[in-house]
Amino acid sequence: MSGNVETGLGPRTRRLLAGWAWVVFAFLYVPIAVLVVFSFNASSRVNIWGGFSFQWYGEALNNEVITSAIRVSLIVAAVSTAVSVVLGTAVALALDRYRFKGRRALDGTIYLPIVIPDITMAVMLLVFFAEAFKLIDTFGPRFTLGISTIALSHIAFNISFVCVVVRARLDQFDRTLEEAARDLYATGWQTFRRVTLPLIMPGIAAGGLLALTLSLDDVVISAFVAGPGSTTLPVYVFSSIRRGVTPELNAISTLMLTASITLVLGALALQRRRASASQQTQVL
Amino acid sequence: MTGAVAAVEIDGVTKRFGEVVAVDNVDLAIDDGEFFALLGPSGCGKTTTLRMIAGLDLPTEGSLRIFGEEVGMAPPDLRPVNTVFQAYALFPHMTVRQNIEFGLRMRRVKDPELSQRVAEATGMVRLSGMEDRRPDQLSGGQQQRVALARALVNQPKVLLLDEPLGALDLKLRQEMQQELKALQRSVGITFVFVTHDQEEALAMSERIGVMSEGRLLQVGTPREIYERPASRFVADFIGRTNLLDASVEPAGEVRLANGARIEAETSLPAGSEVSVSLRPERARLQPRGTAAAEGSSLDGQVRDITYLGHAVVYEVAVGEMSVEVRVEGETGQPFAPGDDVTISWDHGAAAVVAD
Repeated sequence: MSGNVETGLGPRTRRLLAGWAWVVFAFLYVPIAVLVVFSFNASSRVNIWGGFSFQWYGEALNNEVITSAIRVSLIVAAVSTAVSVVLGTAVALALDRYRFKGRRALDGTIYLPIVIPDITMAVMLLVFFAEAFKLIDTFGPRFTLGISTIALSHIAFNISFVCVVVRARLDQFDRTLEEAARDLYATGWQTFRRVTLPLIMPGIAAGGLLALTLSLDDVVISAFVAGPGSTTLPVYVFSSIRRGVTPELNAISTLMLTASITLVLGALALQRRRASASQQTQVL
Repeated sequence: MTGAVAAVEIDGVTKRFGEVVAVDNVDLAIDDGEFFALLGPSGCGKTTTLRMIAGLDLPTEGSLRIFGEEVGMAPPDLRPVNTVFQAYALFPHMTVRQNIEFGLRMRRVKDPELSQRVAEATGMVRLSGMEDRRPDQLSGGQQQRVALARALVNQPKVLLLDEPLGALDLKLRQEMQQELKALQRSVGITFVFVTHDQEEALAMSERIGVMSEGRLLQVGTPREIYERPASRFVADFIGRTNLLDASVEPAGEVRLANGARIEAETSLPAGSEVSVSLRPERARLQPRGTAAAEGSSLDGQVRDITYLGHAVVYEVAVGEMSVEVRVEGETGQPFAPGDDVTISWDHGAAAVVAD
């Protein structure tokens, strides 16, 4: 069967649409390609090609401000991912399994950090930290904005994302598998450990990768809650771009792009495994 | 059968889910080594009863003993029973072997006993050689065998089966019926299985408990349940039957709604409104006026004929009533619609049931 019978489109329309698709594709990816190409530019002028070189990667990685920013980014990403995966999964389990007071309210508001604008969340968190520090200061210890406030802020939005992904997985979970485990002498904890957890693990891992990506990419919230001497890489890039684009920034951006793409591909692969796993349960 | 202690003893057990009474004051004793069926339409409480034996639901009231030991409130992992679930509930992330050894591992059984028992169970259900496959690589029948092996490997005192054959196609189901029976005989464990399929219950079990709307209506051998149903519901649910409205006369006679008197045994008091259950295959059909003197008879007219090959089913109008007569292996001349006929049956072939 030819496509035009099904869609009702003539061959000319089809060619036109296919061409348009390529235009959209180019619109999306040409800037990225330019960035990547110019990150290998030997010239120090951003817009003039001077031959191929890894020079700017070297300079970027020798710049202490940049390496410090990378370190902060990685620590924040690791900590916020680890914490939000545990807490997000726990919230997802609670919402899926139990009926408790305030469950509906929590169910509706847990997703709020996903939909409210970053800038609102950033202002909220900044005000919150200021008030919290005022309170804590009265007891003695002094806290300031820094790497810990960035990590806390990232945890705050990442919990929601992990929770959403894990809940989707729990929705497809066949509870009789847990009953079967209990029937086969497993205690409640063993049932969770041997049956529930392995089966929702793809969802947890996908949620974790999403959290990692979001943490590494965040600019707005991190910029607000960062303190002196604790800048994340995206915040550094954003602040230095005001002084003009340098080939160094091209190199850093390419590195970040590569890291993000790797993480997203990893998340996609896990999602696909999850899809085939859910087909299995349907066959069963 | 040892007869001394019941394998499962259910004593005044009621289960409520909120306002809904799923199981209503059920008393039941299942003997050691018995193949027992809980039979009833969906929503009759049979699965809930099974789940209470397994410990997956807890009774609201009443007591439940397994070989004399009170377990009504015990969690499932502390009960000497195992379950074959309706859709098998095999762990999809484990191989066949891992599925089968799950219960033993939870009980900390170690090698070499572990592998020996797993091998035995795998062989018993004829799955040797498939230990490393995953459940999604098995056919429905094979998955069912894994579920059986996974339960039996633990040597439970009672094996519970929830609609074990429901997910299989007809041919495989009939094979598995025979296999389950043979398996039960060879392991000697008490089997309690839940089904909505009355033929399956009749074919497989030694005794049947018929449930409806949370109540246990009758317990008996397949023959007792079929031949001597205790109520209109049981007579109607098990097999096909004609249920004729009737009332009990003073002399122990039974009078049908159309005025005809028939012979039937009943212990119900005179004046009771009852039904007479006459199985289509227990009735005979003759040309009007040639009926034998023995037993009971009704005059009617053939209204409709269904030819089934091995049998012919006649629908006969008797006054306002319609009676189905099933003639197996038909010999002689068949009847045609409009023929005047006499339906007759032997003494004791019809059962009187309370409404």
